[in-house]
Amino acid sequence: MSEPNILADKWGKPAMSEVLEFYHSSIRKLVAERFAASGKTWQEAVQDPALELTRADFEKIEADLLATGYRFTMSAQVSIEEEPEKYQPIAGVGNSGNQVSDENGRLVVGTGDNVFQATDLEGTARFVGTVEVVMDMLMNGVPEGTIAVIDDSGGTLTAPILEGFAGVVCMGGTIRSHLGILTREYDIPCLMAAELDGLADGDRIVVEYSKPATDAYAERDDSLRARIAKVS
Amino acid sequence: MPANITPAELQDLNQFLQKSSDIFYWQCTTRTVQESKLFPVNPYIALSYYNAWYRYPEIFRKIEAVMSPEELGARAREVSMSANAIMLGIIQQFYLGGRQFLLDMGMINPTDGIEDVKYVLDFAQRVNRSYHRQSGYTLNSDMNNRAQLLPERTLQVFEADALGCKPGDKLHTAVVKFLATASQYAFLKNCECRLGIHNSGPYKVGDKEMLVRDFVDLAEGDYPWLDGVASEIEHNNITLPVIMKDTHFNIVDDWGSFEATPSYDHDNMVAVGLYTSDYLSNGYIPVHMENASDMADYLDHMRDQMQRVTAELWKRMAGWSREQMIDAGLLVYYSVPKDLAHIAGVYDTNDWMLVEERVQRMRPLFNDEYGNFAIAELVGYISLSSQQESPYTMSKWSGQSSDMWSKIPNSVLNDDNYTASVGPIRGGSSALPPKTGKYTTTRGKLTQDEANALARGFTSSTIAGNFVNYDDQWVKYNAGTPEADALYRATQENSFQLKGKGSTLRADDVAALRRW
Repeated sequence: MSEPNILADKWGKPAMSEVLEFYHSSIRKLVAERFAASGKTWQEAVQDPALELTRADFEKIEADLLATGYRFTMSAQVSIEEEPEKYQPIAGVGNSGNQVSDENGRLVVGTGDNVFQATDLEGTARFVGTVEVVMDMLMNGVPEGTIAVIDDSGGTLTAPILEGFAGVVCMGGTIRSHLGILTREYDIPCLMAAELDGLADGDRIVVEYSKPATDAYAERDDSLRARIAKVS
Repeated sequence: MPANITPAELQDLNQFLQKSSDIFYWQCTTRTVQESKLFPVNPYIALSYYNAWYRYPEIFRKIEAVMSPEELGARAREVSMSANAIMLGIIQQFYLGGRQFLLDMGMINPTDGIEDVKYVLDFAQRVNRSYHRQSGYTLNSDMNNRAQLLPERTLQVFEADALGCKPGDKLHTAVVKFLATASQYAFLKNCECRLGIHNSGPYKVGDKEMLVRDFVDLAEGDYPWLDGVASEIEHNNITLPVIMKDTHFNIVDDWGSFEATPSYDHDNMVAVGLYTSDYLSNGYIPVHMENASDMADYLDHMRDQMQRVTAELWKRMAGWSREQMIDAGLLVYYSVPKDLAHIAGVYDTNDWMLVEERVQRMRPLFNDEYGNFAIAELVGYISLSSQQESPYTMSKWSGQSSDMWSKIPNSVLNDDNYTASVGPIRGGSSALPPKTGKYTTTRGKLTQDEANALARGFTSSTIAGNFVNYDDQWVKYNAGTPEADALYRATQENSFQLKGKGSTLRADDVAALRRW
């Protein structure tokens, strides 16, 4: 055995994602170079701390990728706050201008998968996507009639204020995600995997929570998705 | 010289590895997707795998030096604590995740560390087999996603002592609200993951079904970030046996989460109990179960506590740096076997709440995007180069020519092209404040040394001596004997309805004695 096995992988193929392929192929190359220069057997080399990759090696690999102009997508607020130069800017809710109207003449600004069947609800859409917004609602209370528009399906960002929401519209996840589980436990109407177009913070909306709960095992059927209509 | 492993051992090892690979794929692709705007979830998950790879072998050997995996599993199955189906069943998955990442990076070959791999997988398999003795399986998924963990003697007490409730009454309302708040708190204290929530069952109760719902690691204890902020939480582990009508729990999976047909509806809850337990208790201890009103009041009291702790803990966590958030999540994941060390009386916070230096060096890779793709490709798409197999291959669930975990090549039986171990643990550090508070147990708040000393001198009365080998198969033909009655009476010690009744009660007898 004369090198890392992965370099002689008969059935290997590139990773799906650009960042993963860049990192892993860079690491493989570095390991192979260091091993070849060592003059040791693989068994000796793999257990030799002096030949191990270091933090500086990994920092250089990241720097090499960033030097190409690549910028990462973020998922946690803290990541982009601490290193904004490494991340792409956050995209907000778009507005195509192509919204259709419902049977009552109201613009449909989104649809989603209903977690459980409740009754339709009118309220004020409030975007709850940052620690600062949550902290404000924690300290000053959640305004009555808030339908929280949340862009992640986790249960932690909104943990201390979730119970105060009249309804939830989540732009990610599935009905089995943690936020779906929690809203069901709290009996708070909730849409998951919502796709929004033209919804703005503060809009008055009606959410079609009366739709039957989404079948987690069924193929997507747009006609079964609950609609979000703009009242004003 | 060939590796220190026999052909039979290698077969056993590779079969458990393959089974783990298949079921983890099914779980990861069908059950949920984790994300959070607060925590960098996938970066911490991926890093936890490396920590498991480098640290589990040495720590498991330390535990086994004082207690066998079989005894660990036997003790864990008597109570509800974080040594449960989800935590124990996932040990080998996290460990193999670290191996697979390193394989894919070319930092190890599939023949490296094989005595460690053999040891860790054997340890995990044995402790799970012992824990699941009642069903005779290793994982819930083996039983078509059913978690039959408890023996008749425990379930009879749960059934008989449960308190009746119906929609709108005080107890029913309190239970529903408590379950929501406890779930919320469990996700937060565990940094977005579900490891604090566990369910077992279903168990038949006449024409109804019982689901045993556990919330674990609730109080000041192993997680340093609960020091102070969770000091008012009185019980570290809480169990609610919930009896449901018109509900069939068709899935209780390896992660202890359930699905029901028709969909779970609190309105179908007809009776419920409330218990605490841990590695220092003689089985389950009832909590404020004297009557329905008292239990409801206590559930409301715990709910108030958890709401306050949730708000304060959230403020603490919201102020953390990214490195601290990653460390906390990483350590929750990595430490899934930690309660085995508590059971054995060798728990050391430095074993479970630190990040090994060989893991720390890799942090620069773990931006959010890389973390997300690393996990998605590893456990969802199975698209890493190292995971690809011969094009003739069709894997169990996806039909793809790829498998999550790479097996150990049989060539290790021929030659010496292998290494045995990752070597000893190399230090460790954490960006989080160190553990300073005490450990909340059923024997009070204890220091680490006090808890370990008590654990080393303790054996639950329900598994003492020969009792440990008196399973339901033995009871079937020995009910009414002095030994069987003594075993049942030990389990019934704290029961309101069955104390002293012994081993001969049949289902109709329990139904006649129950409180609902």
